[in-house]
Amino acid sequence: MGRMRVATLGFLFVVLVILVAVFFLSGIKEKVIPAAPASPPEVEPLPMQPGQTRSVVLFFLSEEDTLLHPEKREIPADLSVVRQAKQTIEELIKGSQKGYISPFPPEAKLRELYVTEEGVAYVDFSKDIVEKHLSGSSAEISTIFSVVNSLAYNFDDIEKVFILIEGRERETLGGHINLSRPFLPLYDLIAQ
Amino acid sequence: MVSPRKKRTLITGAVLFFLLSFVSVSQIQPFLKLSVRDYEEFSRVVIEPSFPLSFEIDKGSSFMLVKISIDIRPRIQREPFDSRIIKSFGWTKGGDYYILTIRTKIRDFSYDYFVLDNPTRLVLDFSEADEESGGEGRASEREMQSRLDSAFSREREESASQGIQTIVIDPGHGGMEPGALGKYGTREKDVALAIGLKLKDVIEKNLPVRVVLTRENDVSISLENRAAIANYNKSDLFISIHINSSFRKDAHGSETFFLSREATDDEARRLAYMENNPAEFEEGIVGDSEDEITMILWDMAQSAYLKESSLLAETIQEELNHLLRTRNRGIKQAPFKVLSGVACPAVLVEVAFISNPEEERKLNTEWFKNNVVEAIYRGLENYIERYAQR
Repeated sequence: MGRMRVATLGFLFVVLVILVAVFFLSGIKEKVIPAAPASPPEVEPLPMQPGQTRSVVLFFLSEEDTLLHPEKREIPADLSVVRQAKQTIEELIKGSQKGYISPFPPEAKLRELYVTEEGVAYVDFSKDIVEKHLSGSSAEISTIFSVVNSLAYNFDDIEKVFILIEGRERETLGGHINLSRPFLPLYDLIAQ
Repeated sequence: MVSPRKKRTLITGAVLFFLLSFVSVSQIQPFLKLSVRDYEEFSRVVIEPSFPLSFEIDKGSSFMLVKISIDIRPRIQREPFDSRIIKSFGWTKGGDYYILTIRTKIRDFSYDYFVLDNPTRLVLDFSEADEESGGEGRASEREMQSRLDSAFSREREESASQGIQTIVIDPGHGGMEPGALGKYGTREKDVALAIGLKLKDVIEKNLPVRVVLTRENDVSISLENRAAIANYNKSDLFISIHINSSFRKDAHGSETFFLSREATDDEARRLAYMENNPAEFEEGIVGDSEDEITMILWDMAQSAYLKESSLLAETIQEELNHLLRTRNRGIKQAPFKVLSGVACPAVLVEVAFISNPEEERKLNTEWFKNNVVEAIYRGLENYIERYAQR
């Protein structure tokens, strides 16, 4: 009987050690690779469950190439399209969890977002997105199309995106790309 | 259930179908191209219809009416212009014809006209009346022929310089607006200006053309005014010089851009609007005001030259790749504000990345700038040889 008890305790102790090890080791691993590496950049959004989350795909830059790289995020699915779109842009501004490059100045803030019945999303950024911008053509193109693609790709209600700064129309971010018309998404820019 | 991806494909398909059907519809709809160009002694209006031309001309004191027989309202395509004599165009419907009104800035003008084939064009030359031509009226058949010949020889002389007479170079940014900045303090506006000035020298030394810079020193010029300078100078080619910058540290190499055709349906809507509001259309043509219609017309100017612009981008990029041995980033399309209003083949060259320390260092050396200038010059020369000879 005493032996049985020792064996049982021993077994439980071993289980505990393993659990603790798994707990901490997986923690360490998470620090090395912030996002769960188990989810590859699968682009197909999961079927929506009511009251649950839905996944959206954000587009970031990478040192590898000049393309936009997809990265998934979970956002609450029971929100209106506008609130979901807002959250998508906020997640986009927060940056990548996989080490991709964010095409936004860190100070950039989303002020407002609304979607017209014609499927045009108006995305209003704080002036930091202009003042702190790198102001090169490539930089402008990346900023604009990471926003445009991230919205048009995830929301069927959004066909085009119009970018506003401090609630107003602006000619360009830094002297290059014309902001005075809504943008259609450019899926050619997306890495496969 | 249709998967979201499939759905997107379907939507894309539907959009494509819509665009294609739009294209074919627009081909069925007749159109009329108008262009105006000033020569030393006269201003020439060329009317190029997409349909068999049957017309009558009536002359007033400061206008001319061209009655054109056609049932369907043709679409008007017109480049922005600035002419000594021609003031504006108007467009009204008569019975089974439409009337094109050409208003002149001067009273008492005289005119000649002739028709060219392949493609059919009605050419109207306006000049001030006080010269020996006995007032208004049609010139005799013979006079007409000689006038036609001299006009032609004049055009041929011009095409001795391969049809390219004026090249406008646009050094990006300037003044209050430094453009992209390098880690070591290099400013896009300075490098762009240095390259622009050198390029002007090289072109003028080697080609019989006039080169106009949108800025020759460190001043701010709006993007619209850069296009306006090109159009005012009747630019035949437009090259904007920029230095690139990216959020990616590794980004490097040269790129040549031309304008992308964006929001096609928007443009169709604007055209439809102008067709349905000919009065405003006319206002717009007169306009040196900041009037919205004027802006729309200018806004669309570049869309008529996308094919040539792509060829120019290609020939320049070829030489940049060859001479600089920078990685080929190729030619690209993007909705650049500065290109959209330019009424001639137009490209924007992104010479190198100021955000890349290695390239920033190069941008500060004379040999690199000279190489860039030579590459752009050779590209230009190739373009003229291949495509601009008539």
